[in-house]
Amino acid sequence: MKITQEKCNDVTVCNVEGEINITTSTELRKNFDALLRDKVNKVIVDLTAVSYIDSSGLATLIELFQRLKKTGGHMRFTGMSQKIRNIFEITKLHKLFEICDTREAALQNF
Amino acid sequence: MNAFIREKLSSKLDAVPVLMARVIDMLKETTFTEDERINVRLALEEAIANAIRHGNRMDAALTVEIIIEVNDTSFTATVRDQGQGFDVASLADPTAKENLMKTSGRGVFLMRQLMDSVDFFDGGRGIRMTKTLKQGG
Repeated sequence: MKITQEKCNDVTVCNVEGEINITTSTELRKNFDALLRDKVNKVIVDLTAVSYIDSSGLATLIELFQRLKKTGGHMRFTGMSQKIRNIFEITKLHKLFEICDTREAALQNF
Repeated sequence: MNAFIREKLSSKLDAVPVLMARVIDMLKETTFTEDERINVRLALEEAIANAIRHGNRMDAALTVEIIIEVNDTSFTATVRDQGQGFDVASLADPTAKENLMKTSGRGVFLMRQLMDSVDFFDGGRGIRMTKTLKQGG
């Protein structure tokens, strides 16, 4: 898995590439830890290049959501393929998270 | 086709990708669609991860036995740990509003959603799951 970050004004866009699974979710968590240490409070997670996610990956995303919420922060998702979206819909997490079709939409009014 | 895998893994998560690579290769030989292959893979990985983490509690002295059988019409996997077992009826619905924020409890739910049948045995130490091919042969 590869994770890169970019700043769009006060929003941090986190581009995730590869699989978010039981072995890679630790790396993603570490990355999110660093974001929170830097007091980031607006995060867009771009999943365009994510080909697979399991329940440990979902848990890692929920953790970030919870931690941001505690500090008044927000997160949005974009770039979900239909495969990944299916997993969010099956688990009803699409009701919990803000999911935007495009990065532009995610950045709008954030 | 007829393919069979029987493995005993130590209770370490890093043992899972090696086995899964074999399973993915095996699935590519079937007539499963790509989406079906992903679903089968996800359900199996969830079962193995649960067996290692919750069943054997990551005790490296305990093993997880995995038996996979694929033929022209179906994929069947049996995963069995050496832990204390659990009460399947006690599992909460992870899609209930009050559980959506929880960071655990989705593994079995996903298996049930993605496979055609999921059955527990031996007090929750074992699970058997099946997916039937839509285009057999």
